[in-house]
Amino acid sequence: MGNLLQRLTIEPFERFFDKVIQFLPTLITSGFILIAGIVIGVFLKAVFLKLARAVKLDAVSERSGIIDLMRKGGIKDSVSVFLSKVIAWITIAVFAVISMRELQIPAVERLFENLLLYLPNVFAAALILLFGYLLGNFFGRTALIASVNAGIKLSGLISRFVKFTVFILAGTMALEQLGIGRGTIIIAFAIVFGGIVLALAIAFGLGGRDIAKAYLEKKLTEKEEKDEIEHL
Amino acid sequence: MNGTVLRKEIQERIDEIKEADILVGIPSYNNARTIAHVVKAVHAGFAKYFPDKKCVLVNSDGGSTDGTMSVVQDATIEDSLSILLHHRIVPAFKITTPYHGIPGKGSAFRTIFEIADALNVKACAVVDSDLRSITPEWVELLVKPVLDGGFDYIAPLYHRHKYDGTITNSIVYPLTRALYGRRVRQPIGGDFGFSGNLAKFYLTKDVWNTDVARYGIDIWMTTTAIANDFRVCQSFLGAKIHDPKDPGADLSAMLHQVVGATFDLMDTYSGKWKAVKGSEPTLTCGFQYAVGLEPVSVNLDRMIDKFRLGVNELKDIWREFLPEDVMKFLYKAGKQPKKKFHMPDDIWAEIIYGFAIAAHKKMINKEHLLKSLTPLYIGRVASFVIETWESSAEEVEDRIEKLCITFENKKDFLMDGWDR
Repeated sequence: MGNLLQRLTIEPFERFFDKVIQFLPTLITSGFILIAGIVIGVFLKAVFLKLARAVKLDAVSERSGIIDLMRKGGIKDSVSVFLSKVIAWITIAVFAVISMRELQIPAVERLFENLLLYLPNVFAAALILLFGYLLGNFFGRTALIASVNAGIKLSGLISRFVKFTVFILAGTMALEQLGIGRGTIIIAFAIVFGGIVLALAIAFGLGGRDIAKAYLEKKLTEKEEKDEIEHL
Repeated sequence: MNGTVLRKEIQERIDEIKEADILVGIPSYNNARTIAHVVKAVHAGFAKYFPDKKCVLVNSDGGSTDGTMSVVQDATIEDSLSILLHHRIVPAFKITTPYHGIPGKGSAFRTIFEIADALNVKACAVVDSDLRSITPEWVELLVKPVLDGGFDYIAPLYHRHKYDGTITNSIVYPLTRALYGRRVRQPIGGDFGFSGNLAKFYLTKDVWNTDVARYGIDIWMTTTAIANDFRVCQSFLGAKIHDPKDPGADLSAMLHQVVGATFDLMDTYSGKWKAVKGSEPTLTCGFQYAVGLEPVSVNLDRMIDKFRLGVNELKDIWREFLPEDVMKFLYKAGKQPKKKFHMPDDIWAEIIYGFAIAAHKKMINKEHLLKSLTPLYIGRVASFVIETWESSAEEVEDRIEKLCITFENKKDFLMDGWDR
């Protein structure tokens, strides 16, 4: 009877205790790794902040328009503070993954492995979006100035069209990079883009038939009155 | 300096000529229609004014497809006795060569400087290939001050139509005069004389991959000569009449190259111009006389429309670097009736200085910055045309003088913004 009681109550507790004793060093090591990660993250954040201020990163980002992008996205920090925070969190996340692996729990290991493998896609997508934003603004402004100098009244519209085309293209590429609806996104983009072009062609073809006719007639038959001012 | 390698046949020709006293360069690109007249005038100038000097004519061509180079080779003075009082003692040489590098006037000039350097010439001149009003006297007027007067740089002085050279009159002349304190009336005139030493000095500068290789060459030559204390004078050449420029030539690209080169030079010589106050006249050679000039047609409505379009669409770009009072004026001017359209001198000076400061501080992409100046420039020209429609050439000159004084008086605005 006494033997049975020992097998039912004391032995499981003893086994549990043994496992806890066995697991404790791993848990402590894991905890240390996590704490080290936090300390290193904070240290790297401080170092990056100093470096960024030395190279005047905030002034450069102000000029390049990155700061506008961040404000529109609801980020109120300066670029240097934002990037330093990102660096700190990436460091902490990497150390967290290492500390979790140290625990040797299969389910957690798999989860973090998948997350780790997916992270580069997130970074690549973020980079694509950032470059897309910068390029969209740049090409939009180029188109605006060129069309204003050519005297085109719809300059603003042309500029916005160029800008948003680049934005949409970047968004599509970013989503594709993240693996979200791969085929669907590309097909949707092609349909939307093709649709816009077709709609514009039909609109101009039907609505602007007379204007186009008058314009062509003017170009082919009349000589436009030109300035004879010699600029140089 | 990254020197270009002259073609083998040109090197052989240089070895054959060995040394020369005078070199006149003619840059060209598809100028078969006009270049023969220029070549003949230069040859007549050599024969008439420098019969005992060894003279070389260099045509530096940008790959013409209309036979410009063969026209140069074939051009001769048919009846020299009717033109000349003297026969030449020393024959004049002719070199025609395509140039290397970025397509543009500056690259053509670089080849001319290199040949001048190789021939160790004493005096050089460059003249445009589309000139219709060039005479043999131009050669004398551009070269003699170097040979006899000891000058290093001779800028041209012409009588031009009041609406000719509007970039010069509204930007380059007032700005360079206020900056460097020398009144050189045609700093980008296109026809210049210079000493062999100055040609060698130009070649030491590594600028041939910038706007200097294109339309920026003229202002670069003038500013380099003034800022490096070379002896500068100007020669009165009479009227400047030339073929209309290529109608396809883009005004904003031209403005970008000329103004961009001027702003780059402001960075290079900031130590020089900051110390300058006011301006002093430049010695003028040659006998000045009045000339008749053909009237030009101006489409004012279209110019004002372009200015208004610019104000509507580009105001957000300009707001980043132009002062508040200038922006307020531009909003108001954009809505003014065409007949009352007016852009005052002080506003125009602040606009140009504002653009110069923005370029110096790299506040926005340089190409965007300079090309966004086009509608403002067109607005300023329109305002000038309205204001001077009834004015004589002398009155217009007085008007330009007033603008220059405004630029000089507003220089503190530039200095404050430059260092802030």
